[in-house]
Amino acid sequence: MKPSGRTRGKAPFYWLILAPALAVMLWLTVYPIVNILFTSFQSYNYLTDARHWVGIKNYTDILGDRVFIRSFTNTVIYCVGTTLFEVSFGVILALVFYGEFRGKSAFMIMAIFPMMLSTMVVCAVWKTLYHYDIGLFNYILKSVGLAKIGWLIDKDKALISLALVDIWQWTPFAFIVMQAGLSSVPTEIFEASAIDGSSYRQTLFRITLPILRDQILLLLLLRIIDTFKVFAKVFALTKGGPGNATETTSYFIYREAFSYFKLGRSSAASVITLVAVGLASIYYLRKILRED
Amino acid sequence: MASFVTKKRGILFPIALAAILFLTLFPIYWILAISLKTPLENISPVPTLFPKTITFQNYAGILSGGYLRNLGNSVFVTAASTFLSLALAFLAAYSLSRHRFPLKLNYAFLIWIIVAKMLPPVVLAVPLYDMFAKMKLLNNLWGLVLVYQVYTLPYCIWMLFGFMKSLPLEYEEAAELDGASPFQTLGLVVLPLVRTGIVATAIFSIIVAWDEFLFSLLFVRSPELLTLPLVIANFIGEYETLWGQLMGVGLLATIPVLIFSRVVYRRMTQAYALGLK
Repeated sequence: MKPSGRTRGKAPFYWLILAPALAVMLWLTVYPIVNILFTSFQSYNYLTDARHWVGIKNYTDILGDRVFIRSFTNTVIYCVGTTLFEVSFGVILALVFYGEFRGKSAFMIMAIFPMMLSTMVVCAVWKTLYHYDIGLFNYILKSVGLAKIGWLIDKDKALISLALVDIWQWTPFAFIVMQAGLSSVPTEIFEASAIDGSSYRQTLFRITLPILRDQILLLLLLRIIDTFKVFAKVFALTKGGPGNATETTSYFIYREAFSYFKLGRSSAASVITLVAVGLASIYYLRKILRED
Repeated sequence: MASFVTKKRGILFPIALAAILFLTLFPIYWILAISLKTPLENISPVPTLFPKTITFQNYAGILSGGYLRNLGNSVFVTAASTFLSLALAFLAAYSLSRHRFPLKLNYAFLIWIIVAKMLPPVVLAVPLYDMFAKMKLLNNLWGLVLVYQVYTLPYCIWMLFGFMKSLPLEYEEAAELDGASPFQTLGLVVLPLVRTGIVATAIFSIIVAWDEFLFSLLFVRSPELLTLPLVIANFIGEYETLWGQLMGVGLLATIPVLIFSRVVYRRMTQAYALGLK
């Protein structure tokens, strides 16, 4: 991240051309965060415009609110579950489809279609597949003599159904990242190991996976960061229900602010989320800093 | 290390290949199939794998429903926000890669925009909604173009920063010796050199902006200003049984980005190589 080479030209020019982007980012990200920090210590109803200081009441309220706690645990379960599945599938697929074969690039290009689609399109098609009465999944279950499943309406299954959609959409990302990593390893390394008489399993656990370790960690982080934000899928498929079964922190913040107009509570929930994201990303940031 | 399936070169490999393709492509085929079925066939409790009668009435419904206008909104917002991000990011990335600012501003800024990209956008949405309301930028496509910078600008700055950093300085120095002003150097020397980088960056930015949902949900109300993801969300919520039209709109929203798959595959394969060679 150091500026390459020596500094050229005059400083004012560089300030001038950095200024627009700097201003936009300050305006769109720094200001809002400062704003929610303040608002989180206030009671603020957007509709009546009544605003006054309440100390840490919002925080104690939120942390004692069953719905918020539920939304937080749901988010963590969803985030960890989808990430683990996506990354392990990605690693397995990269190993299975390692090496050259006819039509590989066409195959890879089709394999990443799901991550290219708009999330809303993905939700739409899965909503039809999941439909209780006229969906394809329940039709298949019924025709093989099994009971229908309330994919999105059963409170024990709805979160899993949401996770399945994410896994379908983003495993391709894990696949392509792992296959890029794996195919950039010089083949000599594997050949040497084969000459030494290692079995496939030995090579896998002693050489391949250790080489890919950093790549796997990076992938885990990218997916954790992304799945932690989950909002659009909840909005389109379940609206947080049934009950609070698929309530997530993003959805909680959205509802507190835009349905109940309780901006203090919504801001306090945002700050808690910020802290959680910050803690989770320290490792990632340190890695980026070390690289440059 | 031969793949444990290719090594055998047996029946297993083609089966694995076919299974993955089926899992990936079936839902996409399903979008197409539903969009070609009659409304009656779509609500039948016995789903049909192929449309019994192929009909274009759903597409006619999309045309008469005015959804092409929403397609136009999506195209406009995506193009304008990508263009704005590229312009700002081109200047910023050049500045950050060529000049050492005081107080480690280079580090601070680059790290900050990564952090910003990691935040759930809903966290920023509440104060931004308030601010955009006061600036009369709600229910306005230009407002969306501005707020999309939250997503697209960090992306563009980081990607272009990578390209700029790897440019040799000789060209710029030569231009300077020939008496070019800093802006001339930027426009006539640097811009052509990072052209391919700009195209790649634009594609990623387009994909992000095209998919955006939260801010368009909050900031735009009038039906004629909605972007495609919003139209789809409304379809899912309100007209639960108009699956044919829903999937038709879905296909409209899908085709423009699927054509980038090849470039995305190439780019990511390069970007995520381990750098051991």
